Order: sequence, then C-alpha cells, then structure tokens
Amino acid sequence: MHQFPIRFLIILSLFSLNTSCNQYRHLKRTPPEENCIEKFKPTFRREEYKISVDVIGKHISGLLLIKYMPDSSTRIVFTNEMGFSFFDFGFSQDNGFAVYHIVPQMNKPALINTLRKDFELIMFRNMDRNKSYNLIDSTTIYHAYPQEKGVNYYITDEQCGRLIKMQRSSDKKPVMDALFFDYMPGKSPDSISIRHLNFKFSISLKKIMPLAS
Amino acid sequence: MIKTIALVILILFNLPGLAQYPGYTLSNHPEEFRKSFVEATTSIESVQSGFSQEKDLTMLSEKMNSTGKFWYKKKDKLRMEYIHPYPYLMILNGGKIFVKDGQKENQFPANSNKIFQQVNRILIDCVSGNMLNNPDFQARIFENAGSFLIEFQPMAKNLKELYKNINIVIDKKEYTATAVEMIEVSGDKTIIRFQNKILNAPIPDSVFNNP
Repeated sequence: MHQFPIRFLIILSLFSLNTSCNQYRHLKRTPPEENCIEKFKPTFRREEYKISVDVIGKHISGLLLIKYMPDSSTRIVFTNEMGFSFFDFGFSQDNGFAVYHIVPQMNKPALINTLRKDFELIMFRNMDRNKSYNLIDSTTIYHAYPQEKGVNYYITDEQCGRLIKMQRSSDKKPVMDALFFDYMPGKSPDSISIRHLNFKFSISLKKIMPLAS
Repeated sequence: MIKTIALVILILFNLPGLAQYPGYTLSNHPEEFRKSFVEATTSIESVQSGFSQEKDLTMLSEKMNSTGKFWYKKKDKLRMEYIHPYPYLMILNGGKIFVKDGQKENQFPANSNKIFQQVNRILIDCVSGNMLNNPDFQARIFENAGSFLIEFQPMAKNLKELYKNINIVIDKKEYTATAVEMIEVSGDKTIIRFQNKILNAPIPDSVFNNP
C-alpha cells in the first residue's frame, strides 16, 4: 500500500463530482423502459478476483473476494498477495453499507465513498424505478437512476440486447465508466474494468479460480 | 462443589497458554530456548523452501489459498514468488522492494511502504532469529514435543493497529520456522507454512536482483 497514491486518491476523489457543461444535453429524455436492465444484473455468489489498482502512475494489486452472505448482504474484501487485509465492506439488501474493517491509511471518508459508489454501480444497487428515466440517442439508451448525488447510467443498445457500459455521473458530466468483459447476463463477469474520468484512477478485476484443496 | 469446579475452570482458562494454543504449554525455560535459538540461527546463511499461504477470513467463513517459493539469504535478502492463484513476485534487497505483478513492475524504497516493510521485516526476522530482539514486540514462548510456538504481541502503536499478534512455529530439530501466523486486529489471519526447506545451500545474488 503506497502512501503517495492513497493520499492523491483521496484528494482527487473530492473533485470527482466537479461539473462543467452538460454532456447529456443532446440526449432525449423518455420514460423508463420495462424489463430491460434487470436482466443484466450480475450475480456474485462467491467470486475471487485478481484486483489491480492504478492511481497516478502507481500500481497496487491483490485479491478481491465478493461473497453473498446468508443474511442477503454482499461482502467485498480486498487483501494484498501476502494476505494483509486492506478493507472489508458490507452491502446489505436494503441498500445499507458498512465498513467492517479498513486499514488506517485508507480510512478516509472521501475514498470510502468513492469505492462504495463504484461497487454499487457494478452491483446494480440503489436502482429506484420510481425515479428512473431514459435518455436516448439514435443508437443507445441511457437507463438513468438518480442517486443522492449524481446519476448512475446503464447504457444499452437501442434494442436493449446488450449492456454497453455503466457510468457514474455528476448532474452534467460522466465521472466514471465501468465495463464487464466475458459476461453472461445474470452471471458474474470474468473481468470488470472501472475507470475514473476526472483523474487517473482505474481498477481492473480478473476472476481467478481457487486452488483445489 | 459446583463453586469449586467453576473456580478451577475459571483459573484454568485464565492461565496464559493453557487454553490459548491447543497442544502447547507455556515454556518453563524461555531463556534456554532463546540461547539455543540464537545459536542455531547464527549458523543459517540461507533458506530455500516452498510455501503455502492460507488467508482465513473468520467473519466470512472463507479461506483464500496461495502457494509459492521462498528464498532468504543473510542478512536481509528475501524473495517470495507466488505461483498460485497467479504469478506475483516480491523481492526485498538492500532496502528496496521490487514487485512484479503480471507485466507491471514496480520498485520503491522499503521505508516508503509501511505495510510491505513491516510484513517483510517480520518474515526476515522470523527466519533469521532476530524477532526475539525486536523491541516492537513482546514475546512468550510455548512448546510441545516437536516444536516451539513463539507468540509476539506488538508494542508499537502502528503495529498494534494492524496486528493482534504474530505467532511463529519453530521446529525443535533445526530451530527454523515452519509456520508464521499473522493475526490481524479484525480477527482475520494469514498462515504461511514453509515446506521442503533447504538450509545453507548457495543461492546466487542474482536471485534477489530484478529479473
């Protein structure tokens, strides 16, 4: 764990909601589409991923465990290769969030909030259908789910046959893109990419097979 | 009668070392062990071994397993090469840490990364025998027929934030570490078990250079 990138990550994450001109202005707002996004929701039962974090030229890696718990919550644990735990987050069924453990170096609200929102986007959480709407252009549909701050978008083709990408935005401007690779809708993706657009911060996840015991 | 039994049980479970590590009792001759341990480790110039690592996430009832190869050369050269679940290389040499993760390579001073530095320092001190002299830890020595278990409790504030304690199992024949158990404050623990140890075989310095 590098002190340098973590410090920058915290500072820069504060600017992630910075806004300028509205980059969604050209899209036409329409009512939400029934039965489109739900089918793309991934299912994480017990998945181990190799995680690589690149932040302003520095690289951190380790293992990320995503586990669905008997109480219907989902836990996400990040350890380095030598087994040292960086954090253990819990996401409950009622959209609650808990930090079960975090190393003192990472225990900063701005950083925790950024990671929380990133994971919530890729887990398809906080999707209130009553507040949702669509933004469309000639080829794509932005399925919009307003959050406490900003909006989460799930972007599909116009037939809703393919999830193109996921996006977190401020009110006017994208702040993060996420992609699934080698992904069967309803299963857990083999690879996940998270890329912040306002500063050099990316997370890539690649599923690994546990050792046979 | 019941009160007496309850009192005996209470005393037994409060006696340090009796219930804490099954099969081990608190050593009656810790100074003897210290002397023998320092003597034995003074003669260790190098160690090569395989290792298996088990990360135990207690709250999640989960274990995450890794395996790899381990090299140590006196006085402060360390190479840990993970093979499973994916290749990952970490070398500590001359106050610098080199890490290779897939195609990504990274080198930085050991003191710039406190967690790496502390974990590596602990591993080197365990193998070299210096752990008993480390003022950052308070040690208690337990033993059974075949091995010693040294329990290290961190004294330094920054270590207390990370580890509840670190235990090392020492083989009574060779006085070398067979396992290192790092127990975090959260209760999660990592056990590294060393297998097929080769002591004092020549290891070229190039093993500890950036590949």
